[in-house]
Amino acid sequence: MTLIEWDEKYSVGIAAVDYEHRELIGLVNETNARLMQTGGKPAVMEFLGEILARISAHFALEEKIMLARNYDRYDAHKADHERLLDGIRDIMDDYEDDEYFGEEQFAQRLQEWFGEHFRTHDARLHRQLD
Amino acid sequence: MIQQAGRRFFLLCEAAFDAAFGPRINPFYHLGALSFFLFWTVVASGVYLYIFFETSIGGAYRSVEQLTHAQWYLGGVARSLHRYASDAMVIVVLLHLAREFVLDRYRGVRWYAWLTGVLLLWLLYASGIGGYWLVWDRLAQYIAIVTSEWFDALAIFGEPIARNFLNSATVNDRFFSLLSFVHLGAPLFLLLGMWIHIQRISRARTNPPRPIVIGTLLALTALALVHPALSQGPADLDTVIGTIAPDWFYLPLYPLIDLWSPRGVWWLVFGGTLLLALLPWLPRRREAPAAVVSLANCNGCGRCFADCPYSAVILQPRSDGLPFESQAAVELDLCTGCGICVGACPTATPFRRVGELIPGIDMPALTTADLRAQILAAAANLSGDGRLLVFGCHGGPDLSSYRDQGVATLTLPCVGALPPSFVDLVISRRHADGVLLAGCVAGDCYQRLGVEWTEQRIAGQRDPYLRRRVPRERLAAVWAGPAGDARLAREIAAFRERLRALGRYRPGAAVTPVSSSTHPPEADDDAYRMG
Amino acid sequence: MLKNIFRYFAQAVFYGLFVAVIGYFSSAPAYVHFPADMALIKASFSHAGQPKEECRVRTAEELAQLPPNMRVPMLCGRERSPVTFELELDGKPVYRAELPPSGLSRDGVSTVYQRFPVAAGRHHLRARLRDYSAGSRIGPPKAGPERESARGEPQGGGEHSVRVPDFNYSKEADVELAPAQVFVVEFSSRGGGFVFK
Repeated sequence: MTLIEWDEKYSVGIAAVDYEHRELIGLVNETNARLMQTGGKPAVMEFLGEILARISAHFALEEKIMLARNYDRYDAHKADHERLLDGIRDIMDDYEDDEYFGEEQFAQRLQEWFGEHFRTHDARLHRQLD
Repeated sequence: MIQQAGRRFFLLCEAAFDAAFGPRINPFYHLGALSFFLFWTVVASGVYLYIFFETSIGGAYRSVEQLTHAQWYLGGVARSLHRYASDAMVIVVLLHLAREFVLDRYRGVRWYAWLTGVLLLWLLYASGIGGYWLVWDRLAQYIAIVTSEWFDALAIFGEPIARNFLNSATVNDRFFSLLSFVHLGAPLFLLLGMWIHIQRISRARTNPPRPIVIGTLLALTALALVHPALSQGPADLDTVIGTIAPDWFYLPLYPLIDLWSPRGVWWLVFGGTLLLALLPWLPRRREAPAAVVSLANCNGCGRCFADCPYSAVILQPRSDGLPFESQAAVELDLCTGCGICVGACPTATPFRRVGELIPGIDMPALTTADLRAQILAAAANLSGDGRLLVFGCHGGPDLSSYRDQGVATLTLPCVGALPPSFVDLVISRRHADGVLLAGCVAGDCYQRLGVEWTEQRIAGQRDPYLRRRVPRERLAAVWAGPAGDARLAREIAAFRERLRALGRYRPGAAVTPVSSSTHPPEADDDAYRMG
Repeated sequence: MLKNIFRYFAQAVFYGLFVAVIGYFSSAPAYVHFPADMALIKASFSHAGQPKEECRVRTAEELAQLPPNMRVPMLCGRERSPVTFELELDGKPVYRAELPPSGLSRDGVSTVYQRFPVAAGRHHLRARLRDYSAGSRIGPPKAGPERESARGEPQGGGEHSVRVPDFNYSKEADVELAPAQVFVVEFSSRGGGFVFK
C-alpha cells in the first residue's frame, strides 16, 4: 500500500525538483512497506537514513534554486526545511529507541511529515516560480 | 630544519601577540591582508603628494621641500606616511613570505601563490626605490648613480646609462618625467601582480580586521608626526655623495654594490630569486589525493563549490542524463585534499543507508564510510562517565597523548571536513556524551576556512546547519593550534566535568537556542569575522 | 576590565616597537659611500671610431648583380675601428683600453665609463685617444681645430702604407681637486677632442 501517491498537480515545474520529489515519495512508500513487515526494523532504519540523505540534498538544491530566482518567501521556506530535517531525525531516533506508538500512527506521522510541506510551501513555490 | 627553527620563532611571537590582540585579529594571521592595506595607504598618500610634485630637476626637490615644511600638518604627514607605510609594507611582506615558508604553505597546490609572490618582490622594490629617486635629494643622487652603474654591469644598453648622471650638465627634465612614469607604473604592475597572486584561493582576505587597520594607521601617523620624513639636501651631481642615510628597508643591497661589485650583486639577486622561486619543488610535496565526485549522489546543490577554500570545486553542466542542471567537478591541480567539501555535502551523513555510504563528494584518503567506521570503533572503547570523542586536525594540537578510557580521538585533514551530521550521530545515538573539536588557532586555519565554516555551521548560519535538536552544551570547540597541547588538556578536563554533570543524553531535553555559540569560555570576543 | 587594559597596553607596545623599527631604519645608520677627503674623476665618453675600410665605388659587374632598387654606387664598410683610450694620472697610467664599437655589425659608438677616486689636491692628468686601427687603410681624420699634443704627431696624408699607431687626440692639464668634487674627462669629436670639467 502506497502511503503517498504522486500526482501531476504536485509538479513544481522544475524537472530536478520533481524528480527528487518522486524519488522521495518512493522512498517513503518503501519505508512504509518495510514498516509493516516483521523483522523489518533494520530495513526501516536504512530507508529512513536514505531519506535523510536524499532530502538533505534535495533541500539544498531547492534552496539554491530559490535563491537564484529571488524567491520572496525564501526565509520561511528554508525555516520549514530545517524543521523537517529536525523532524525526520526525531522520527529516526524515536523509531530506533522504540519510542513510537504503533506502525499505523508511525506511518501517519511519516506521511504528515512529508505531505504537509509539499502541499503548502512547495505548492506556493510552484505558483511563484511560474 | 630551517623550518623548525622558524616555526618556533613564529609560534613564540604569535603567542605573545595572541595575548595582546586575541587569536582572531592577531596581525600575524593577516599579514597578506595587511600588505594590501599598507599598499592602499601608500597609494592614497602618493596621490596627494603627486598633486604638488613638480617633474623637473629644480622643481622636484623644491616642491617636496615645500610640502614637507610649509604644509607639514597635511603634506608633510602624507609624505611621511608614504615613506613609512612603504617601509612597513616591506617588513610585512617579508614576514608573510617567511611565515608561509615556515608553515609549509608554499608547496604542492599552493606553489602558484608562492611563485607569484616571489616575483612581486621585484616590483615592490622597484616601486620603493623609484620613489626615493623622485625627490632628487642627495639620497636620490646616490641611488641614481649606483643604480645606473649597477644596471650598466648587465651590459644591455648601447651606452652606459650612468652617463646620464655624469655631472650636473647631463641630467635633464625629460629624464625626470620618465622617472615619475616609472614610479607610477611599477606600483600599478605591483597591484596587478597582487591581484594575480590571490587568484587561486577563494575569498582571499585583502582587508585586515578593522582594529588592526585603525591601530596601524594611528601608529604610522604618530610616527609621521614625531619623526617626519625629510630630504637630505638637494642633489648636486658635481659633488660626490660622501655619507648618506639610506632607507635600509629598500636599499640594503646598495652598499654591497660598492663593497663587492655590481656583477656580484646581480648574481646574488638573480640567484636568490631563482632559489626562492624553485622552493616549492625542492622537494615537491605529494598532496593528499584529490576529492572525488559521485554523480549518482550529487544533484549539483553547490555547497561544496561554495565552501572550497581553493576554488578547486566547480559546477559543470550535467553529463549523466539525470534531470539536474549541474554537477560538481574537482580541479585536480587546485585540490589540497582538505575535505572541507565533504563537510559541506548534504549527502555525507553517517546514518545507515540503503547500500553503501557514498556521498556526492568524498575524500579517498578518509572516506565518509571509513570515518563512520572509525567513530563507531572508537566509541565502542569508551567507558565510564563523561565519555568524549575528540576530532582533531593536522594543524591542531597533538592528540596522540590521550590514552584515557573516557576519551577517544580521531584526526581529520581539517576540522571543516567533518559533516555536522556526524556530531549529531555521536551525541544523539549516545556513542559519546560529548564531542570536542580541536583545531588550528582561530585566526589561522591551515586550510584557510575550516574554523570559520565549522563555527558557522554550528551556529546555524551556514549550510549544512548542525541540527538544532543537538544540544550545544555537549559540543565544544577549542581552537588551540599546534602549540595548544596544554590548553587542550585543560579544556578537555573541564568539558568532561560538565558532561558528567549533564548525564546521559535524552532527546527532548532543553534544546539550546540556535544563537548560542560554541565559543569556549576563554575565547576572545573580538568581533572580527573573516572573509 | 583589567584584562582589557593589559591588552591595549600590550598592543600599544607592539605597535610602538613596529613603528620604532621603521622610524629608525628608514634613515639610519648612515653609510659612508665615499671618503670625505677624496675627489672623484670620471672618464666617460661616447665616440664612434673611424670606419675600418674606405668607401669605394662599386664596379659595373657588382652593380649589375644588385637588384635595381639597390644600385648605389658607393660601398662603405660598416665596421668601425675600436677606440683606444688611455688615461694617465700624475705620470702613471691608470687606465688603458681598446673600446670595441657597439652593435651587432660593430658599427656603433665605443663607450667608456670609469671612476677613479683620488686624493683631493693637485694632480696632473693626461688623456689620449686613437680612433683608427693600426692595420686599417684609413688614416687619422684631417687635422681638427684643437690639437694640443705633447708628442707623437701622426704623419699627414692618405697613403696606403701601414702607419705606426699613435694617438690622434690628446689633452693634458694640471687640475686642482677639492674634496668631494666630481671631475669629468669627456670627449666630444664635435667639440674637437677631450674636455676636462
